[in-house]
Amino acid sequence: MGTAPAQLFPEFIAETLGISGVPGQVVGALIAAAVIGNIVLAFTGVAGPWAKRKITAAFTDRIAVDRIGPFGLLIIPAAAVQLLAKELIVPEGVDRPTWDIAPILLPASALLGFAVIPMGHLGPVNLQLADPEVGLALVFAFASIASVSLVMAGYASNNKYSMLGGLRAVAQNLAYEIPLIVTAMSVVIFAGTLQMSGIVEAQQDVLFTIAGFDIPTWYALVNPFAFVLFLTANMAEIGRNPFDIPEAPTEIVGGYQTEYSSAYFVLFYLGEFVHIFLGGAILAVTFLGGASGPGPESIGFLWFVVKIWGFFLFTQWARAAFPRVRIDQLIEIGWKGMLVLSFANLVLTAVIVGVIV
Amino acid sequence: MSDWIAIGALAAVGLLIPIGMMTVSALLRPSVPETGKSTTYESGETPTGGTKIRFNIQYYMVALLFVVFDIETVLLFPWVVIYRPAIEGGIPMMDLLWPMLAFVGILAIGLVWAWRTGAVKWTRSPRAASRKTERDPN
Repeated sequence: MGTAPAQLFPEFIAETLGISGVPGQVVGALIAAAVIGNIVLAFTGVAGPWAKRKITAAFTDRIAVDRIGPFGLLIIPAAAVQLLAKELIVPEGVDRPTWDIAPILLPASALLGFAVIPMGHLGPVNLQLADPEVGLALVFAFASIASVSLVMAGYASNNKYSMLGGLRAVAQNLAYEIPLIVTAMSVVIFAGTLQMSGIVEAQQDVLFTIAGFDIPTWYALVNPFAFVLFLTANMAEIGRNPFDIPEAPTEIVGGYQTEYSSAYFVLFYLGEFVHIFLGGAILAVTFLGGASGPGPESIGFLWFVVKIWGFFLFTQWARAAFPRVRIDQLIEIGWKGMLVLSFANLVLTAVIVGVIV
Repeated sequence: MSDWIAIGALAAVGLLIPIGMMTVSALLRPSVPETGKSTTYESGETPTGGTKIRFNIQYYMVALLFVVFDIETVLLFPWVVIYRPAIEGGIPMMDLLWPMLAFVGILAIGLVWAWRTGAVKWTRSPRAASRKTERDPN
């Protein structure tokens, strides 16, 4: 990676505030983490109470929230207050404190994944908290903590539907984690690094030129097969349709979240949306050139937002268009289909890279 | 080092946000305990039996398979990272490729075995099959 590494967000804040050394690192890191956390929360705030309803309504030919504010946008603060002010009903026989920890763990793990995501430049600021050399492995590790939270919720709720939902969530995450990571490895073979900024940088060359317009070497264009595999495994990993069997409202009520109400339910809901955006962010970094796009580098963040909201739109489209798979189909697709295809993709990629380099 | 401080800071923020939301909610929400409200939901019926039930063995089989393949991915990570730099360094492709192919091949044999013995085929318990809600036509 020839060029000097871009200044990270915490360093930028420490330098702006004029604090040096370890105190500067800590203060900068805390402020930067608060900003990143709130950016992600703002995404989920727009997505959950507003965008999701609007998109579903558009797909099903209805009119959604339009009473409060322009385009119904003020439903967001209204829904936030309403949901937080709901009574918390603690069911009989729940296993506390496991029951209370699960809703904290889910959004926390999904948020933690954003620590290593390069969200691009906004003006002079490079919105990336950390850029360790093991970035890609780390982000998968953080994202998979979510399964633990789902099992905790399912097991502690003292409800048979919750128990089934928790079990289904693990079986699904286990089945699709391996294809997800093995497909990501085929990107690492191209890029030769696990560092997130390195993976983005490796996608900035010109693949070919059409009518004076440079097509970049985004891995979605270099290896579309891997992109489709990764997209599918990602949908299963974040538990969205057609792989939403851990919740499956028509089969097991709400799965692991059946017995949750008030702020606890909001946290599950929020955690799922953060997870969708994290899935979109990983997809954008590994296959869609991260924050790159036409125009100057300083608007990179806007491209990044476009990409992860594009992924969010895709999940909502899938929600409106695809029927849910059954649990036995899910296991067979995962272990017999995706796993074999992802290893075939890995070997093929290794051979191709060996021949062209 | 500063990377890990930043990751730790986001972990702290990530825990503070949900805990803060729980606290705000605890201050805002009413508490109206009523009899029957706190029973667990079982489609409106009175819940029967416990939840620590026997469940399909398949979940366990899948978890066992996962452990094997997860360790495989961990061991493959170093290989994929050095692969391209090593080729650019002039090492012949097959020298790099065959150890990985052998490693993946052994696990592929394992997967074929699991496939043939039915570890990844969803088993239906005879009890579940006989307790279908459809009534016998006779």
